[in-house]
Amino acid sequence: MKQLSARIISHQQVFAGLERPAARSTSGSWLMWLKCPGIAGEAVPGQFVMVRCGAESVLPRPFSLHRVNDNGDIALLYAVWEGGKGTGWLSRRQAGDKIELFGPLGNGFSVFPASRHLLLVAGGMGIAPLRFLADVAVRQKKAVTLLMGALSAGHLLPDASPPQELLTDGIPPFNLDIIKVTEDGSAGFKGLATDLIVNHIDRVDQVFACGPVGMYRTMAALSESFPKLKSAQVSLEMRMACGLGTCYGCTIKTKRGLAQVCRDGPVFDLQDVDWEALRPV
Amino acid sequence: MNLAVQIAPEHKSGLLLSNPVMTASGTFGYGTEYPHLFDIQKLGAIVCKGTTYQPREGNPQPRLMETASGVLNSIGLQNIGVKALVREKAPIWAGWRVPVIVNIAGETIDEYARIARELNGVAGVSAIEVNISCPNVSEGGAEFGVDPKTAARVTAAVKASTSLPLIVKLTPNTGDIVKVALAVAEAGADAVSLINTLKGMAIDSRTRRPVIGNRTGGLSGPAIKPVALFMVYEVAGAVTIPVIGCGGITGGSDAVEFIMAGASAVQIGTASFNNPRAPFDILRGIERFMENHGVNDLAELIGAARG
Repeated sequence: MKQLSARIISHQQVFAGLERPAARSTSGSWLMWLKCPGIAGEAVPGQFVMVRCGAESVLPRPFSLHRVNDNGDIALLYAVWEGGKGTGWLSRRQAGDKIELFGPLGNGFSVFPASRHLLLVAGGMGIAPLRFLADVAVRQKKAVTLLMGALSAGHLLPDASPPQELLTDGIPPFNLDIIKVTEDGSAGFKGLATDLIVNHIDRVDQVFACGPVGMYRTMAALSESFPKLKSAQVSLEMRMACGLGTCYGCTIKTKRGLAQVCRDGPVFDLQDVDWEALRPV
Repeated sequence: MNLAVQIAPEHKSGLLLSNPVMTASGTFGYGTEYPHLFDIQKLGAIVCKGTTYQPREGNPQPRLMETASGVLNSIGLQNIGVKALVREKAPIWAGWRVPVIVNIAGETIDEYARIARELNGVAGVSAIEVNISCPNVSEGGAEFGVDPKTAARVTAAVKASTSLPLIVKLTPNTGDIVKVALAVAEAGADAVSLINTLKGMAIDSRTRRPVIGNRTGGLSGPAIKPVALFMVYEVAGAVTIPVIGCGGITGGSDAVEFIMAGASAVQIGTASFNNPRAPFDILRGIERFMENHGVNDLAELIGAARG
């Protein structure tokens, strides 16, 4: 873990906001690239960083690593909560500004060396850590099928192609298949990313997912018919204070006992978590 | 420059800290989470997570909520229990230079005494800090620390069960914290630390429910600093034992203010979340203040604002 200050290389809004009567709304999602070799050099997909969000915020905010490149740059993809003090402050930073952060933290996704084909299931902002995983897996010459689900076309990652450096270093052909799914049908398939899991599950060696708790509940129900899903690795979001396993603010109950999302996670096996008992953030 | 401070002068072996900066219970785990990150041996002392007799699972989520300049928390004393602490953590601490103080919490006076007995003679444990902000389960659920008589009974029971220096951590959720401080000093406390968190609440207007799973939480952070500072000032004017100041200390100048109010040492809690290096930065800040103001001995600053 490194604690450091990093310069913003670029920062722009990439998704529109979300109005959701049943959940807290967001006013948009932003992509921030940071010059951060100290963290880039250590990070693995699924890990996160804690970002200090200005003098008004007493707690740092946890964000998963969205991308990491060979130049020591890291990217964060984050939603700005409606009325969110920390994410609101962060969204007003500009290229050239410096922000303070520490990480990488937590345990990332575990891709088995023998796995040849991975299924990635992203629900909304859940694309954030999965993009980094897709980049690394493609580089390891694994086939990746990415089910990228969102509310509508405006909430899908606009550029989900492999990193630019891969196009020039002789690794292709890539085997990255991105399948878009939107709830309103404005892009790709109409429905939820989880609707398409059954079409791919037989062909893949491992499943990784990130999305809302409802998505994990659906996957847990599906796993009764498709046992391969039981060991799907899923990333959890939880309110945190320390990010280091010291405050016990993010404890959840798992079938293996109590676990701290920051230190023992944020990646858990689908079958280890009691999804009905878990309250969404 | 002398930053060393004795925080248990009445105790036969005392508790001499190399400097006045301690971590606050519940914000620094067992200290074992950090050695690979920072040189924790440089701290004055580490106060570990609140420890009960049996392991505890803690409270339902959500346990945390940021508020204006503060944090509400209701962790519910999730901890491994005193026996596991003695077995798994103390042997690690025994190899450290920095003293480790075990914070204890009970639901009955007898539980406090039993935890204290488990810690007797354990290598690696330098003192006990008694959290009296727990509900007194056998007597109606009011916090032990609210009433001077009950607070004194807890203190006396722990004192009779331990040979270690004894710090009592006071709650601000009481009518007269000075009376409680005097009562625990009389009952044998070697020092008092204050303040614990202030009881508070947040409501989610969308769900029409309290945000915190346990309904209420303890407020910490810069929001409570003026309250804590005044209570430290009041208590330090009343008791003769050392006072340890705690509540919203975020920078070196905050720590200096608590010391000037009469604190012999300070505890750093919520500030460590935003900045894991906070205790170290605050220690450096105190040193810099002393350098800049020609202060050679920390003792010159203790209570300097009184008078």
